[in-house]
Amino acid sequence: MKVLVAVKRVIDYNVKVRVKPDNSGVDLANVKMAMNPFCEIAVEEAVRLKEKGVATEIVVVSIGPKACQEQIRTALALGADRGIHIETDAEVQSLEAAKLLKAVVDKEEPKLVILGKQSIDTDNNQTGQMLAALAGMGQGTFASEVVVDGDKVNVTREVDGGLMTVALNLPAVVTTDLRLNEPRYASLPNIMKAKKKPLDTTTPADLGVDVAVRLTTLKVEAPATRQAGIKVADVAELVDKLKNEAKVI
Amino acid sequence: MAPEQIIATLKTLVDDGKVLTDPSDLDTYGKDWTKIYPPKPIAIVFPKTTEQVQALVRFANEQHIGLVPSGGRTGLSAGAVATNGEIVVAFDYMNQVLDFSASDRTVVCQAGVITEQLQNFAEEQGLYYPVDFASAGSSQLGGNLSTNAGGIKVIRYGMSRDWVLGLKVVTGKGDILELNKGLEKNNTGYDLRHLFIGAEGTLGFITEATMKLCRKPDNLTVLVLGLADLTNTMDVLQAFQKKLDLTAYEFFSHQAMGHVLAHGHVQAPFETETPFYALLEFEAVSDQVMDDAMALFEQCVENGWVLDGVISQSETQAHNLWQLRERISESIAPRTPYKNDISVVVSKVPDFLREIDAVVNQHYPDFEIIWFGHIGDGNLHLNILKPEDMPKEEFFGQCEQVNKWVFEIVQRHQGSVSAEHGVGLVKKDYLQYTRSPAEIAYLRAIKAAFDPNNIMNPGKVIDPA
Ligand SMILES: Cc1cc2nc3c(=O)[nH]c(=O)nc-3n(C[C@H](O)[C@H](O)[C@H](O)COP(=O)(O)OP(=O)(O)OC[C@H]3O[C@@H](n4cnc5c(N)ncnc54)[C@H](O)[C@@H]3O)c2cc1C
Repeated sequence: MKVLVAVKRVIDYNVKVRVKPDNSGVDLANVKMAMNPFCEIAVEEAVRLKEKGVATEIVVVSIGPKACQEQIRTALALGADRGIHIETDAEVQSLEAAKLLKAVVDKEEPKLVILGKQSIDTDNNQTGQMLAALAGMGQGTFASEVVVDGDKVNVTREVDGGLMTVALNLPAVVTTDLRLNEPRYASLPNIMKAKKKPLDTTTPADLGVDVAVRLTTLKVEAPATRQAGIKVADVAELVDKLKNEAKVI
Repeated sequence: MAPEQIIATLKTLVDDGKVLTDPSDLDTYGKDWTKIYPPKPIAIVFPKTTEQVQALVRFANEQHIGLVPSGGRTGLSAGAVATNGEIVVAFDYMNQVLDFSASDRTVVCQAGVITEQLQNFAEEQGLYYPVDFASAGSSQLGGNLSTNAGGIKVIRYGMSRDWVLGLKVVTGKGDILELNKGLEKNNTGYDLRHLFIGAEGTLGFITEATMKLCRKPDNLTVLVLGLADLTNTMDVLQAFQKKLDLTAYEFFSHQAMGHVLAHGHVQAPFETETPFYALLEFEAVSDQVMDDAMALFEQCVENGWVLDGVISQSETQAHNLWQLRERISESIAPRTPYKNDISVVVSKVPDFLREIDAVVNQHYPDFEIIWFGHIGDGNLHLNILKPEDMPKEEFFGQCEQVNKWVFEIVQRHQGSVSAEHGVGLVKKDYLQYTRSPAEIAYLRAIKAAFDPNNIMNPGKVIDPA
């Protein structure tokens, strides 16, 4: 079974982002970039499926500038077999990403597509769902467990108040939630081996997809800074403040 | 003076509400991380200014009462411990960053500024304060300087001492001194600043410090390597140092990692089990550096020194890999470890490790031994864990017997019985393994010059002449 995994290059989760002075976006200059954490989970899940003998080939795809190849190489070091880089310096929004991935799905015909539920830079939570719709596949989003069973995949989803399990016919789209697995580190021997794994480059034009931006960002602002706390002398003052200032009781 | 009178007077010397005498406060503030010696202070006071500290010192001199300076109480040598009716002087309310100069790249801090607060302040200015260790979230600058704390970046950035350009102190006599005034260059006789650094509060109080900041390192990347054998730690270090400027080089044993993993929230770096691990950190500023690191890894594997390894692919992973090292102390704390913090010059480390290994195997056959440390600086933290069913006293008694063997090896290699944790009460009896009698006599003379009435942290490091 062939598995396609999409990975996105984003600002490292650990970096404190700064808003550009003109409020047009966040400052990306000299900022450490890394694989989106949910995409790491997607790669890990695919590798585990391969280790179980369920998946036979893992193809990893990333959309973005040349530097995305770093994240593809990381996925290859983690256990993916080959990479596809859709190179573009343009901003790619969810629908365009989904269309590009649909074009790759048409070519590669994977049985399972695994994506992160969202990327931590734009937090849209749309690409997986849009891809499923465009490709006419079933979708299992927010997965906390993925079990392939013959020509079906059972996906346990984290929903409000509990877990829901959906059974999807393959091919299907799965998006990963945080608790699906704990991704491993790329070992140095595997990083070296990954350098020799195939990585093909293509472009949106090659795939016949127009990536023109449909949404414009008006303004990006830093969250309001939290006001400093105050100390109260006793319970009476606390109750008074909660009643009359905070008006919560 | 009767205790009630002392407390009443203390209340006149500091702000309202800044004297505590509640038994639970006396217990909390009367001890540091060692928790071996039962605390018995008379009161805890929280000065807010250097002048209040001076008033406390003058009062203590009049009454001949001991003062115990107390910072974040993360010290590992029982320096900030009051066992004998002393007054604990805690710096929790002297925690302000007072001044910053972008052109001098200096920052003036009160002694109670938390280490991490200084690190974060530097980062907000686009700069870096490089001294770092697992207790940075609690330890205070005053405590760091009084123990001359080292930590995980010494191999590149040196000890706390190297970042101090000025100190404001109150001597044991009660004088306020401004030492070195932020100058980079100042060759005007004895540098008193450096006497207060590492003095563990025995000469006086540090109330303010002018600290130097530096450029923030770029793209810090972490390697964790599985080593075939203890002595390979040095082979790997030397191989990497030929090509790369390491910002850290730590090692730890498989047992140490076992405790961290069992403690939870941390993931093993790889499946291969190896007896020892090395953690290396460097600035991955170019593809060339990365290629060098890869080639060095290959070379170490070919030589049979390294069996497996991982490299961080993000800051998050770098942070997570560091947890393997940073959480060791915390994860073994429930086992009441006996801590050794010993060092030799780097070239002697392989022989030193072999000899220590033989001695502990011979004398501690039944105890679990945890090896870790800043081995790139020649510094080994050898921790002996207490068997669950053994009483504390018996355990420490047995450890102290073996100390003689360990410290004789240290002495033979001209090493230190306390590389970075200080002497306090814990290592006081072993000072002579590192310092000669003539040297100790000079230490006593210095102590007498600054603190003639022996009111400053009495009983710690050395006894007065
Ligand atoms: C988990 C853990 C990891 C650690 N790792 C390291 C490490 O890697 N490297 C290292 O060097 N240490 C390490 N330590 C030891 C300790 O954290 C450091 O030595 C730290 O610098 C102590 O700071 P503190 O504020 O907690 O000092 P305290 O324990 O409060 O005091 C230490 C000494 O300084 C004196 N003192 C405190 N404030 C003043 C002042 N204002 N004026 C004069 N004297 C004062 C005290 O009397 C005492 O003698 C570690 C400790 C823990 C618990």
